[in-house]
Amino acid sequence: MNKIFYPKLALTNLKKNADTYVPYILTCIGSIIAFYSMISFYGNKGLDEMPGSTNLKTILFLGTIVIGIFSTIFLFYTNSFLIKRRKKELGLYSILGMEKKHIARVLFYETVVVTIVSLTLGLLGGILIGKLLYLLLLKLLHFTTPIQFYIDGRGLLITAGIFLAIFFLTLLTNFLQVKMANPINLLRGGEQGEKEPKSSWIVTLFGIISLGIGYGIALTVKSPIDAILLFFVAVIFVIIGTYALFTSGSIALLKVLKKNKNFYYQSRNFISVSGMIYRMKQNAVGLANICILSTMVLVTISTTVSLYVGQENMMRDQYHFDMLIVGENTGNDEALVDESIQKTAEQTGVNSIDQINLRLGNLTAFLEGDHFMPDLVAKEDKDTNYYTTKTDVWLIPLEDYNKMSETPASLNENEVLIFSVGDNYNQKTMAFGDDRFSVKEELQTFPLSNKKTDLVGKTCYIIVKDEGVIADIQNNLYPDNNNKSLLFGKFFNLEGNDEAKLAFSESVFQQVEGINPDIDKASYYVSLTEWYSIFGGFLFLGVFLGTLFMMATVLIIYFKQISEGYEDRDRFEIMQKVGMDKTEVKKTIGKQILMVFFLPLAGATVHVAFAFRVMAKMLAAFRLTDTGLILICTIVVTLIYALIYALVYWWTAKAYYRLVK
Amino acid sequence: MSLLEVKSLQKIYTTRFGGNQVQALSNVSFSVENGEYLAIMGESGSGKTTLLNILASLDKPTGGEVFLDGNNIVKIKDSEISAFRRDNLGFVFQDFNLLDTFSIQDNIFLPLVLSQKPYEEMNKRLKPLSKKLGIDEILPKYPYEISGGQKQRTAVARALITNPKLILADEPTGALDSKAAMNLLKIFSEINEAGQTILMVTHSIAAASHAKRVLFIKDGEIYNQIYRGSMNNDEMYQKISMTLTVLATGGVKGE
Repeated sequence: MNKIFYPKLALTNLKKNADTYVPYILTCIGSIIAFYSMISFYGNKGLDEMPGSTNLKTILFLGTIVIGIFSTIFLFYTNSFLIKRRKKELGLYSILGMEKKHIARVLFYETVVVTIVSLTLGLLGGILIGKLLYLLLLKLLHFTTPIQFYIDGRGLLITAGIFLAIFFLTLLTNFLQVKMANPINLLRGGEQGEKEPKSSWIVTLFGIISLGIGYGIALTVKSPIDAILLFFVAVIFVIIGTYALFTSGSIALLKVLKKNKNFYYQSRNFISVSGMIYRMKQNAVGLANICILSTMVLVTISTTVSLYVGQENMMRDQYHFDMLIVGENTGNDEALVDESIQKTAEQTGVNSIDQINLRLGNLTAFLEGDHFMPDLVAKEDKDTNYYTTKTDVWLIPLEDYNKMSETPASLNENEVLIFSVGDNYNQKTMAFGDDRFSVKEELQTFPLSNKKTDLVGKTCYIIVKDEGVIADIQNNLYPDNNNKSLLFGKFFNLEGNDEAKLAFSESVFQQVEGINPDIDKASYYVSLTEWYSIFGGFLFLGVFLGTLFMMATVLIIYFKQISEGYEDRDRFEIMQKVGMDKTEVKKTIGKQILMVFFLPLAGATVHVAFAFRVMAKMLAAFRLTDTGLILICTIVVTLIYALIYALVYWWTAKAYYRLVK
Repeated sequence: MSLLEVKSLQKIYTTRFGGNQVQALSNVSFSVENGEYLAIMGESGSGKTTLLNILASLDKPTGGEVFLDGNNIVKIKDSEISAFRRDNLGFVFQDFNLLDTFSIQDNIFLPLVLSQKPYEEMNKRLKPLSKKLGIDEILPKYPYEISGGQKQRTAVARALITNPKLILADEPTGALDSKAAMNLLKIFSEINEAGQTILMVTHSIAAASHAKRVLFIKDGEIYNQIYRGSMNNDEMYQKISMTLTVLATGGVKGE
């Protein structure tokens, strides 16, 4: 036999089985595109410049792992489906005189073809589609985002390596299948009666516990930072639980139903229950895959949509005033700033309203008990821990407070008022070094800010008797610091159209920068545009991954329908012969298929319901605290997903009925 | 009145696109009395299976009528046909047609469950039947765990459990080894003796030699029939062989 024979045979085989192999190769290509995209996003240096990039990178890294694990399971699953379909064909070769090693050679060449096609198209697709999506993203945001897109050589290598390994392993399992089977078995492989699935109570129990732990973590998470870390622990538990329950739990449940004779021997339950037992055995892993994928799609898209939709409110919480300018009172800076505001307002047609001008002192400290300890951390040692534990203290003289407050207050010697952002201060006294004060009142409203939780570190406003007290406190805490003059603060809202407001903000920023670069300035409108690009990026990522997961889901459903179709064809005939009429058979089978396919969606919905708390907490880390909004986004996304899922089901069900008829 | 009456049955298959017509049954008439055991023999392509499918109400004839207990089964509405089949007919097929998703017991219960009989009654009917057929030990097993003979006896049990008026058997020994086949034929004789009417289509002489009457079909028509009378199985076997030889060699019309 010449050397070209086996590759040729392999090609012919693939062509002949195009019905199932084309979707299989598409699956491979899809997985490779998804994996490469993920890993190239993970390796993308441009992302490091994005605020919160550490969390994002963690998410992307775990995403890469999840896609890797998923691809492995998924490709193994589709491969076993294909080889099972083809047992008869392989048995025929064997009977026609091919030895096992020859069959193995054919299988080898088939895998080589599949590998070459999938890797080439997959990696090319990964680069092209990624690039395309990147361009789309830029257009979408009208900005140059920090997400630089480039061809990730390392990512390509890793992707190729991992998928080569997966293909090699699937080939090995196919070899093993052929090696263990004799020709007669191969011939009958497709029609060999399935063993009654065993339900293991241990696995079921394990699944329940695992799911319980996952849900438990999700329900008890406290801080947003914990949420991000623990979320993935919970995800792992939930994934394990889902697999265990789908494979074992479902069958255990059906067997309990079967034991109940009065329930089981009803014509509508009889066929459904026993049919479901078999369907679950063959489909459990696939359905668990669909369930987990659907959950991922829902969580990713819900969170990113919430972020995108909620960002204006989030910014509003942070920016009590449209603009603030806080600077040191040196020279005539304040006068220059006032002049610039007025001039720019005239130029851009924007009015500044609700303006508050005041003097204030600022320091950072660590609160221990009721003691404010000086912040002596060197600049290069300022890490996440520093930013989450420090307290920003704003000191305001009573006179200035009374100017802006609707309810004027009075203070005695060594008395203060406090407004604490987030949790209450809740103590009667406070101390700055040797200076001790008693808290006269803890304010619940404050003209400059609101009570909404400040997530990075703490902020509090303390109203003291006069400027002298502020100087005392600063001297006490930072005796070496010579620059203790009071700051001037300007807080005001803008009136006009949005574009003019943005133009005003940017123009004032530029002028203030010219007056003194040390002056702090912030504008709701400038920040909003910046954050739009960031959350737009998140949304893009979320929808991108969501779509990929969704495509995988569609493919799994397609494979399931095809395999169900082949198997049900015979069963369909027998039942008619035994005395079930056509519509009845169609109804029963239709019902089972419906149950099988909507079980994962139901599972995913439950997962999302339990994940909701963690999602809300994680979003709180991005300063989105509006739970109602997150809830609405999640519900809407879930509904839309259910609709698409139903459409996919309906479309593939047609393929199924074509086979059965 | 006869239990089953077949009057000038005709079936013509028309190919879907062409005008090509194949006459499977040209003019078949016969009747089956209550308690009879009738075998229908013929070569492959003689129209046996077409006839059986029409009797089973799985197929409609192009002409003629079939009366079961006075009801014209050709005229039964599609919506009632399944229930009619379930209540009046029992089937035994060559390839058993057991559902591998059901245990042996549940396979036998299937027609009863479809007629919504309570579990107690099903169980009451199953006990003596499974004992008689020698399958009481394998009831909890699954079709892929048992032998061909056991599968066919299961199928017989499934056919009998509804107490049908007529058992229709299509090559019941076709997929069995000779021992299992003999065993099954013995069972058929026994249930026939107990009063069950059986109509069996076969081309196995051994199978047909157990029947009380054998009809021969050739080219869609009834060619001949043999009554057992007082013959034993061996004599019956001889007679059938001879008839078949005549059928195969001299039976061509117009010669």
